[in-house]
Amino acid sequence: MSDKIKIIYIDDEEMNVMLFQINFSVSYEVYTGYSGLEGLKLLEKYPDIKVVISDMSMPEMNGIEFIREAKEKYPEKKFYILTGYELTGEIQNAIKSGLIQKYFRKPFDMREIEREINKL
Amino acid sequence: MKVNRFEHKITILYTLIGGLWILFSDKILYSLIIDKAKLSDYQTYKGWFYVIITAIMLFFFIRRHLKKQRDSKIVLREHQNQLEDLVKVRTELLELNIKRLKETQAHLVQTEKMASLGILTAGVAHEINNPLNYIMGSYVGLLRHYKENTFSDYPEQVGKLIEAMKTGIDRSSAIVQGLNQFSRKSDSYDEDCNVNEIVENSLIMLHNLIKSQISIEKDYNDSDIIIKGNVGNLHQVFINILGNAIQAIKSEKGTISIKTEEKESEVLITIADTGVGIPKKDLKKVTDPFFTTKAPGEGTGLGLSITYNIINEHKGKLEFESEVGKGTTVRIVLPK
Repeated sequence: MSDKIKIIYIDDEEMNVMLFQINFSVSYEVYTGYSGLEGLKLLEKYPDIKVVISDMSMPEMNGIEFIREAKEKYPEKKFYILTGYELTGEIQNAIKSGLIQKYFRKPFDMREIEREINKL
Repeated sequence: MKVNRFEHKITILYTLIGGLWILFSDKILYSLIIDKAKLSDYQTYKGWFYVIITAIMLFFFIRRHLKKQRDSKIVLREHQNQLEDLVKVRTELLELNIKRLKETQAHLVQTEKMASLGILTAGVAHEINNPLNYIMGSYVGLLRHYKENTFSDYPEQVGKLIEAMKTGIDRSSAIVQGLNQFSRKSDSYDEDCNVNEIVENSLIMLHNLIKSQISIEKDYNDSDIIIKGNVGNLHQVFINILGNAIQAIKSEKGTISIKTEEKESEVLITIADTGVGIPKKDLKKVTDPFFTTKAPGEGTGLGLSITYNIINEHKGKLEFESEVGKGTTVRIVLPK
């Protein structure tokens, strides 16, 4: 188990979290949470996490807000957004400034995400 | 105005001629006729002569006068015809303008609908992408399982994947159904309208505009409320009112509470927000066409005007209560 890459997935929709967990657990060690705050707690708890993927629109703290806070504490980790929206200005800026590596679209493309993680 | 009227003229002339004739004709006759015995015969001829001459003069005189009258009558009739033609042309022009105005109005109403539809498109796209994501997740997992027997030790995972696909399909189809209801064109006011369902549909379509700091509190009537009305138009009503409520909340946190109640003869829907509120001076004008407090390009100023008309067509009432800084409450009363 321990040789698998550890990733975090944050989404406020239970169904999305469950499906991500089932699919990505085959190749990775997946930790999930329903909000940015839960994401920050997971990052604290599991320091050897390499990749963080987050949904964009969530209550309280959106994906970029969560990543901005997380990136400050853990600048070496790689962050991604997985969203059902078109590319917004906020996400575009986040890519330009290097806050996130890339943004994935929903419905997600499994191979695209795996390729991105395996590059690391 | 001629004072010298025809009847005066003719009387004076006749008197003049008659008088002069009487004065001079006998004198002339006496000086000309030497044979006094035949004088009475000549006097008879003279009488005849007088009558014939005056009759001829009268004839020409009256004819001249009548001709003038007849001519002016013809001119008058021509003038009248011209006037009638002019009125006809003007009326046609007016009717054309009214028709154009009506078309423009219909166009504007449609534009407003399309504008709100445009705002909704982004939200609906996201709303559909989410269940599509379920279906995709389910497909990816099931495909892998089919090829590699990945979850053979965890049959419950397979069950979850299948379940997710069903949920995804159900949700997408519910959203598409909601959209169809909004955009459907029907003039009938005799459709069964499920009030709770229409409010819920409108919320789905507005989902992407509902910022994370807004909480929606729903207090729906326990049983379904069905009224007669126009389903598409009622969707527009709630999308407009809820859209305004969302836009009114500009601060950190806000609440929109929605209540639907079924009374004896009417249905009451209350939508209250804790937004910026409407100043008293503006409150009366909110349903005026083109009245807007939004920046140019953000609102047509037709939303609430159309809402008001739709409620009117349902024989309902639309009431606003607002306090600046506290929020706005909109009450919609619809007859059952």
